[in-house]
Amino acid sequence: MRGRALAVTWLVAGWLVTGLLVGCERDPAGEPRAGFAGLGTDAGGFTPVAPEAALRFPEDHGPHPGTRLEWWYLTANLRDAEGAPLGIQWTLFRRALRPPTAPAAGAWAADQLWMAHVAVSRGADHRVAERFARGAGQGGADEARQAGVIADPFRAWLDDWRLESRVEAGTGDALDRLEVSAEAGRGEAAFGYRLTLDAQGPLVLHGKPAFGEAAAGAGGPIYLSQPFYRVTGTVTLGGERLSVSGRAWLDREWGNQLMAPWHHGWDWFSLHLAGGRKLMVYRLRGEAATDTTLFGSWIAADGETRALDGEALSLTPLATRSVAGRELPLRWRLTLPEQGLDLEVSARHPNRWMSTSVPYWEGAVTVRDRDDGAARGEGYLEMTGY
Amino acid sequence: MSPLGVALATLLSHYRRHPGQLAMLLLGLWVAGALWSGVQAINASARDSYARAEALFDADLDRLTPGDGRPLDRRDFVTLRRAGLPVSPILEGEVTTASGERLTLIGIDPLTLPGDSAFASPGADGGLEAFLAPPWRTRLAPETLAALGQARRAAPGATPALAGGQRLPPLAPTPALPPNTLVMDIAAAARLLERGDGLSRLVVPADTLATAPPGYRLVRAEQRLAPGELTASFHLSLTAMALLALIVGLFIVQAALGLALEQRLGLLRTLRALGVPGRTLVGLLAGELVLLGLAGALAGIASGVGLASALLPDVAATLSSLYGAEVGRTLRLPWHYWLGGLGVVLGGLLLAGSGVLWRAARLPVLGLGQAQAWRAGFQRQLRRQALGGAASALAALGLWAWLAVRPPGEGLLAAFGLVAALLLAGALWLPPLLAAALDGLGRRMHRRPLLQWALADLQLQLPRLALAMMALLIALSANLGVGSMVGGFRLTFLDWLDQRLVADLYLRPPPARLDEIDAWLAERPEVAERLATAGGETTLLAIGDAETPRQSVALFGITPGDAVRPGWPLKATLAGREAAWRELAGGAAFVNEQLAIARGIAPGDRLTLAAPGGDERLLVVAVYPDYGNPRGEVLLATPQLRRRFQAPPGSLGIVLADGAAAKPLAAALRSRFALDATALRDQRQVKRLATGIFERTFAITRALNALTLAVAALALLATLLAQARERRRRLAPLWALGVPRGRLVRVQLAQLGAAALATGLLALPLGLAVSACLVDTINVAAFGWRLPLHVFPGEMLLTLATALGAALLAAALPSLTLWRTPPRALLAEEAP
Amino acid sequence: MLDIRQVHKAYATPQGPLRVLAGVDLRLAAGESLALMGESGSGKSTLLHLAAGLDLPDRGEVRLDDRAISSLAEPQRARLRRERLGLVFQQFHLVPSLDVLDNLRLQARLAGRESPDWTARLVARLGLAGRERHYPEQLSGGQQQRLAIGRALAPRPALLLADEPTGNLDETTAGEVLALLLDLVREAGSALLVVTHSPRVAAPLDRRLRLSHGRLGEAPP
Repeated sequence: MRGRALAVTWLVAGWLVTGLLVGCERDPAGEPRAGFAGLGTDAGGFTPVAPEAALRFPEDHGPHPGTRLEWWYLTANLRDAEGAPLGIQWTLFRRALRPPTAPAAGAWAADQLWMAHVAVSRGADHRVAERFARGAGQGGADEARQAGVIADPFRAWLDDWRLESRVEAGTGDALDRLEVSAEAGRGEAAFGYRLTLDAQGPLVLHGKPAFGEAAAGAGGPIYLSQPFYRVTGTVTLGGERLSVSGRAWLDREWGNQLMAPWHHGWDWFSLHLAGGRKLMVYRLRGEAATDTTLFGSWIAADGETRALDGEALSLTPLATRSVAGRELPLRWRLTLPEQGLDLEVSARHPNRWMSTSVPYWEGAVTVRDRDDGAARGEGYLEMTGY
Repeated sequence: MSPLGVALATLLSHYRRHPGQLAMLLLGLWVAGALWSGVQAINASARDSYARAEALFDADLDRLTPGDGRPLDRRDFVTLRRAGLPVSPILEGEVTTASGERLTLIGIDPLTLPGDSAFASPGADGGLEAFLAPPWRTRLAPETLAALGQARRAAPGATPALAGGQRLPPLAPTPALPPNTLVMDIAAAARLLERGDGLSRLVVPADTLATAPPGYRLVRAEQRLAPGELTASFHLSLTAMALLALIVGLFIVQAALGLALEQRLGLLRTLRALGVPGRTLVGLLAGELVLLGLAGALAGIASGVGLASALLPDVAATLSSLYGAEVGRTLRLPWHYWLGGLGVVLGGLLLAGSGVLWRAARLPVLGLGQAQAWRAGFQRQLRRQALGGAASALAALGLWAWLAVRPPGEGLLAAFGLVAALLLAGALWLPPLLAAALDGLGRRMHRRPLLQWALADLQLQLPRLALAMMALLIALSANLGVGSMVGGFRLTFLDWLDQRLVADLYLRPPPARLDEIDAWLAERPEVAERLATAGGETTLLAIGDAETPRQSVALFGITPGDAVRPGWPLKATLAGREAAWRELAGGAAFVNEQLAIARGIAPGDRLTLAAPGGDERLLVVAVYPDYGNPRGEVLLATPQLRRRFQAPPGSLGIVLADGAAAKPLAAALRSRFALDATALRDQRQVKRLATGIFERTFAITRALNALTLAVAALALLATLLAQARERRRRLAPLWALGVPRGRLVRVQLAQLGAAALATGLLALPLGLAVSACLVDTINVAAFGWRLPLHVFPGEMLLTLATALGAALLAAALPSLTLWRTPPRALLAEEAP
Repeated sequence: MLDIRQVHKAYATPQGPLRVLAGVDLRLAAGESLALMGESGSGKSTLLHLAAGLDLPDRGEVRLDDRAISSLAEPQRARLRRERLGLVFQQFHLVPSLDVLDNLRLQARLAGRESPDWTARLVARLGLAGRERHYPEQLSGGQQQRLAIGRALAPRPALLLADEPTGNLDETTAGEVLALLLDLVREAGSALLVVTHSPRVAAPLDRRLRLSHGRLGEAPP
């Protein structure tokens, strides 16, 4: 569960430390080093996360303003009518500036920050946009706000970037059918999408890895996925409107303290494999090899989930490339001996750098068998801390 | 000591015996440096303020305003954002500090504010999170701290209280912000200003929107004038005045240098005879110049900063009342200011001293300068001055002719050139005129020997006095010119105020309560007329059928009632006043003089203005004077303006019935509608405010003028002091011949008084010409309005009296010493 | 040491050129003293100025220390004056802004060879002791001329040129000043060229020459 979680946590926290005011890509000089970008710091004053047993839907699709961090994170591997691959990303992050207190000091008062990223990628073309908004934990996320999430009927938005449930009331989980839409840029540089997402399987709850006392066990963050979406819709890019279809993966996570102090980056995979099976794997990198944590979930086509640890899987970078001035591993070997899988995962295109206020790499990957080179699936890879 | 050092020390030893000359030299450099660098310091500070104001977050952003004039609030922001428009909210208001100063408070949303704004500068403590979350942060320029009673060191983190008792969020000084401006998160600002959901405006990155969303109007960034552009003419005027002071100061320097050289001619020859090469001597004299120049210029620049600090509040007041531009009241000087000041003063000194060096270089070792040859030289100089004066006068004529064919409001620099050429012509003609007058008079006075001697003696003094007299002439003319212009402006302005302020009470209620108050007033028997106004803003799209560069213009609505019509001044009408007023009520427009001059609009033209319901075409039927308004304005009848441009209501003028008193009505209004002090003002208060602003506006002009005149008087005094000893030597033979000392003193005073009076008389026409230039050309170009030329006989008499006074005052000290010199000492003072 | 050969000099005047010197020859050896006599306007001072390099001849040659002055550039002539010559004028030409002592030392300092002992001795010999801090205008005429003589002799010049050194003084004073001048010239070991119209001044000198109509001739003793 931690892979996606940590990636995003780093993003959100780093955004606050190094973001807007000081300019991009600068290290937070003078900050005491407590995990990467301050993620190891204690999260005093926030509401402890309820145990997994207490999860209730649709309420838990909505925001948990008492916790420090939360996100709705969607990636999709699509193909246009000619079968050419393209990818999209839609993410909404919430961060509490402080535990919400009632009542908020005026209509403008902010104790929550919202950040959204939107991306469309095809071949060498990679378009990214980023927006921010203020929010308040108390007084609810009513429609009269610039950004927010409402659990029932499910809606998440920042400006006109929207992720909304299309499920009729009482006919299933709110996330079973979604519509996502976003537009950004002007003129020739305009890009965006409007997609319908249909879940072919159930919501999945990931396990928790053991790497430090504070983050492990009860009170740790909740990490859910809906990896079974079938997608149809249109994408706008380079002055064209394309009809697309494919697969999408939605992640949900919220929590307070999410990372061990010694970690400084991660590599995270969400893969759609043949036969409707899904694989989530991440590697949390520390200074020394012993500080590295490897964790994942093996998800069967019916949603049955098995936690994977360093014993059950291995992940090895095979080759690096220089992207945006950094050496990034864009080809990996991934083995799961129990499933008899020896896979090679490689980026479709190196140019998937997210030049957002906190930059990272996020892009589509293909999965092949290492032995015969046969296609085994596709997915998304996120790399941070390089 | 090296031989070179010995020679330099010998040259400089002159000043040890003649400290007066040294003092005069340094004085000249000092005042020239002080006035010049003082004004430059003011300009530099103001420019810095403008630069920061222009760099402020919303200066280059387009703005959205509601089409119907209703107030904006958070719903507008959220609705537009959720429709995908990248708008950002700005809340602006005023807060009053504990010490009573008013500061602009700007609330922003850093999360949506576009671009690299001044806000995004690093260095503020705590960054975004501290800015966004309680207790928030107050960002402000360091010089604004004084208004809050904060010392610079202790300021970061302090939470000073405001007049109302609320406390500001912890201070975070940010040098990039403009003065008198507080910037904080919109949540903190809304709380301090008690504005709840309210917004002042919505901004969008320039040119993101092709059209305004329905129900909104788009004001493009380029349509708004930057303060730097508006005030350029004002700073040019200041610079011109500083240049005048510099020149007058350099006149003193030149006079002192000439004297110091002349008295050292013998010394120079002796040194040559003793074996100091001529070139070395010139080099040493140049070195002396630089030494003196550095001392004087540094002292001048240092005092210039003091002068600027003293004048800056007035300048800031002027700029804020005339142009609405905020300028810090403490100096901010860039490094190049210091170098620039030093360069200008030293350059001026070398220019003034080049003649002296030239003469020293050509000094023959033998053949000491004969008085006769020297006299011939002066005659030549007079001829050259007369020719130079004629050339200047021709240049002035040429500039005048050129300006006469330009459209009004253009050629500010040429107009200043015209004034300069006029002054120069006058100054150059002064010595030849004086010499001719003395010559002519002297010939008629052969019957009165003492008078004849006095005239002849004055002629001998003339070469030395000439420069000081020229300086005096320039200062007097400029003083008279500017004085007449300001005086004329004052008269016109007061008249105009009287004509425009016809209501007895001016009411500015909260918009929501306007109708209620208006209805109440309609019932009152003591109210004769209610004059509703309205205000708005639009874009001028076309004049006639010709599209024009888009320009933002102010809209103003008045009620053309019985009280307003008779007095309201009009400069030009299409078909007479009566018709103009009739047509105004029927939907035609007046434009103010500024707009008419700037865009060449005349009655009869049709303007196309952007309006919420589509473009409006308006017939211009009159042009009206609008002093003190930096903007172009279109005037409509209030109902027309409110209907066609959906303009929000403005103030309400109340004309009382005959015999009704204002006070009881005001009291009734206040108590019934709970109006605060600023919401209701009586006519006298408004007039007092307006005249107060006017007086402050020209305080700086008057101050600089007085200083220049003082410098000229000093020049005269210094010149006279410098030659006092020699004068005494000349008077000694007369005394020996039996003229009593008292009479000698009187003759002396009479000589100078007459010369000064002649100078003053010449200054009168020159001053009037300068005034005419100012009124006719410079004001039109700088402010956009033309004033009638007023002649003030009192002012002219004052000019003459000033000239006489300055000369007599300057002559008094040397005369007093003469009076007190023991008679025998007069003869003993022989040439060494 | 001073060698003047066939020197011609004329001045341009509004009335046409005025011939002042027409082929003058004059030699002066080191330590020798010579009086140059003649009527007013006879060209005595012009000859002196030529000798001092203050002016240049139209024709002929002025040689000082075996160097032709006319061939020297102005700075070199100035240097020659500074280091080799002493000049005493009828009008004294003291520097009014320097006190007695500074006036006295001025030329020696310019020449870069001031000798405190010699200066002190000069002050005493000139009778200016106690008046070192006075300014020239506070001195009598005789004192001023003594000071001018002292200034010229302070650097111990090879040649002292004096133009009517007693012209502005009364007879008694003139006698005293002259005696002092001769004494000091001997002490300094300088050669002396005095321009004078006065036989009394000329009498004690080694040689006397008379200038008339632009030419030199022996003067009666």
